[in-house]
Amino acid sequence: MRTSGASMSLLSIRGIESGYGDMQVLHGIDLDVEPGEIVTIIGPNGAGKSTLMKTIFGLLKPTRGRIEFEGREITGLSADRVVRLGLAYVPQVENVFPSLTVRENLEMGAFIAARVPRERLDRIYELFPPLMTRKRMRVGRMSGGERQMVAMGRALVLDPRLLMLDEPSAALAPNLTATIFERILAINETGTAILIVEQNAKESLRLSHRGCVLAAGVKCFEDSGPAILANENIGRLYLGGE
Amino acid sequence: MEQLIGVVNYLVFFAISAGIYGVLSLGLNLQWGATGLFNIGIAGFYAVGAYTSALVCGLPPTAWDGRMVGGFELPFAVGLLAAALVSGALALVIGLPTLRLRADYLGIATIGIAETVRLILKNEAWLTNGVWGLQQIPSPLYSVIHRHTAAYITAHPGLPEWQRLLVSRAYNWFYLLLVAAVLIALYFVLKRLIRSPWGRVLRAIREDEDAAAMSGKNVFAFKLQSLVLGAMIMGIAGALYAHSARFISPASFEPLYGTFIVWVMLMVGGTGNNKGAMLGAFVVWGIWAATDFVTDYLPWTAPQVAALRIVAIGLLLEVVIVWRPKGILPEIGAKRRAL
Amino acid sequence: METLARIPQLLVYGLVSGSILSLGGIGVSLTYSILGFSNFAHGDVMALGAYLALAILPLVSAVGIGSGPLGSLSFGPDFVVALVLAAIGTCGVVLVLDRLLFRRLRGAGRITLMIATVGVALGLRNVIQFFWGPQPRYYSAKIQYATMIPGLGVKIKPDQVFIMAVAISLAVLLHLFLRYTKIGKAMRATADNASLARVTGINTERVVAWTWIIGVSLAAVAGILIGIENKFVTPELGWQMLLPIFAAVILGGFGNPYGAIVGGIVVGVSEEVSTAFISTAYKPAVAFLILILMLLVKPTGLLTRRS
Repeated sequence: MRTSGASMSLLSIRGIESGYGDMQVLHGIDLDVEPGEIVTIIGPNGAGKSTLMKTIFGLLKPTRGRIEFEGREITGLSADRVVRLGLAYVPQVENVFPSLTVRENLEMGAFIAARVPRERLDRIYELFPPLMTRKRMRVGRMSGGERQMVAMGRALVLDPRLLMLDEPSAALAPNLTATIFERILAINETGTAILIVEQNAKESLRLSHRGCVLAAGVKCFEDSGPAILANENIGRLYLGGE
Repeated sequence: MEQLIGVVNYLVFFAISAGIYGVLSLGLNLQWGATGLFNIGIAGFYAVGAYTSALVCGLPPTAWDGRMVGGFELPFAVGLLAAALVSGALALVIGLPTLRLRADYLGIATIGIAETVRLILKNEAWLTNGVWGLQQIPSPLYSVIHRHTAAYITAHPGLPEWQRLLVSRAYNWFYLLLVAAVLIALYFVLKRLIRSPWGRVLRAIREDEDAAAMSGKNVFAFKLQSLVLGAMIMGIAGALYAHSARFISPASFEPLYGTFIVWVMLMVGGTGNNKGAMLGAFVVWGIWAATDFVTDYLPWTAPQVAALRIVAIGLLLEVVIVWRPKGILPEIGAKRRAL
Repeated sequence: METLARIPQLLVYGLVSGSILSLGGIGVSLTYSILGFSNFAHGDVMALGAYLALAILPLVSAVGIGSGPLGSLSFGPDFVVALVLAAIGTCGVVLVLDRLLFRRLRGAGRITLMIATVGVALGLRNVIQFFWGPQPRYYSAKIQYATMIPGLGVKIKPDQVFIMAVAISLAVLLHLFLRYTKIGKAMRATADNASLARVTGINTERVVAWTWIIGVSLAAVAGILIGIENKFVTPELGWQMLLPIFAAVILGGFGNPYGAIVGGIVVGVSEEVSTAFISTAYKPAVAFLILILMLLVKPTGLLTRRS
């Protein structure tokens, strides 16, 4: 349940070090996400943004550090346990089940629940109207934009308190990017906190409460979203021009 | 004293078998250890080598034979060479359709070729004498040595029993030296090959095939070379077996056991390490021989005991895979991998 | 001309043996697509099912379930019960094996896993030989007479009709299961993308367990059907089945259970029809030939995966 005005962050990351085998990618990350916030993480390639996502969600085990969600420690918990606690994750690529239909993809989002919540499905179709007419279509046959909608819809079926998106606009044409971010805003308006990783992040920072810059495995800057956008240095270094 | 000589003679015999398995393991080590190829049809290449050498060196068909061809009575070295070439050719036939594909495909294709080889050996009596097998396979220098040992024994009628036992089996000592010579020669040749640029490419393919392909190497050609060369080595092992056993039949080459035990040997000894391959052969063959002795004391029937011994080897494999997949000796030249 | 006249009858035999191969192939395809490796112990799992049925049968009869033949079939209700129990028993054995062995190898390389399955194959086969000996064990001593199918000019035995009926029913049940049950959809999802399945919250261990249950049950039934068809089983049965089953799976497309069904029929029919032209001893070689041909021409199989 959402605690209003509580001093406890929704997601609290302290000193996370993580990587792949012998290669350490993250060298001590601290980050907080408050309930209902949108936080965007930006940074160059190889900075560790995706690694951080995977570590939070239990796809990678951190070598050091602590992650807490709603006050409960989730460091190193496996992905299917993390899902049960109210987090959801949309990976950057291969984020749908191509041989399943739209409806089936969404149903999988509700796997841990005893029954598929019909009301939630209806809400998701409202959020992503193109899906309503394609319920029985195999997702593998759909366009990139539609797939991204299915991917996000799947993550939202059980009404998570925190939604994590890894480069949601990466595979999309520019006109679709605006739509996706508009949808992200709509999702946030229902109270879901959103943690976004983005490389080309202008759109994302514009609607974020806070943003932070990750480079070479450390957090090197943090401010409100619009402030980062206005910051010329960061703009030059990380946002690819003005 | 006689008992000691009996043991010694047995050990010589044991070492010959272990050595032949060592040759097989070296061949597998080249295919799997160095290149990552999944060959579970070893018995096919082994059998083809054995039969080729037997037919090349053996006697022509007699009236009792079902055979109609073969038996050219050529020297041992020719038989060895022929065995290598025919096994290599078989590997070529299998490798061409499968090496561009996933490992599973090579696996099932090698099972298939071993099975097909066995069917041909059993059914084409005009070539192989079918289930009755090939007899009287000549062993290199056998008549020469036998003449000398027989002469020695007749010349010394008062010879102590233990000396007689020793001398009469002297040929096996020679054969052991022969097997050892082949083993050592192969070891050094493979050592040079593995350390050469060619060998490095093989290892790169094993570690990360896509990366190797992207650096411009013709991955398919390298894999084929490794498969064929490894098969040639297995063919040589087959020839060595044929000339030591002097009788072979399709039953000597049960595909599953012949193949399987070599994999256990390599995994136990140390995948990717030639010394490990040879070590594994001796260790596992030793375990196998030991189980033969133990089973005399067990209350079960012979087929049951035979089955139990194989289950034991199977268990050994699974234990190795779970707890020490790299084997006893480490892989040579293994870099610390950053995934 | 006489040879060609035999072909329609051989086609019928081919359909029967093909149905059995299909059941075996489905398990291999499922294991591959969901667990990610080829299971070379699958044939010996079939053999285990066949032998367990033989062992359970006297116990079932002792409990009092009748052994009078069902209609014109060569067995009675006790056998059917034994069949079901044997399938359950075989599942139990494989689930234990998964727990003890395969679970510890979940992250291991694919080839290591496949070698482990070869070890299991060898182990199962020899455990069978330990308990039941190397000689053939008979399912039925009676000879069943084939009856003419009206209008088609070919004969078929009641047992063979039973075999095909079982195979078809199980295939249909499987389809319904994969299409409409939650765990069936989860299995398809895991086959698509195992990592995403975990992220979605799908309990992959449960999916693995169900994959084994379904694949192994079908395999056990297939093994028992072989016993009915051939009238006897030997410990060699398992390894002998591997080649035609894998040929079927590759023909239909590795990882596609529906393809395995088609592949099974094709391989079965080809093997039987080939006996009109070449010696029966070379039947496995026919499967091998189909295998090699597929690899040369279209390694992804005739039915490529739906995605």
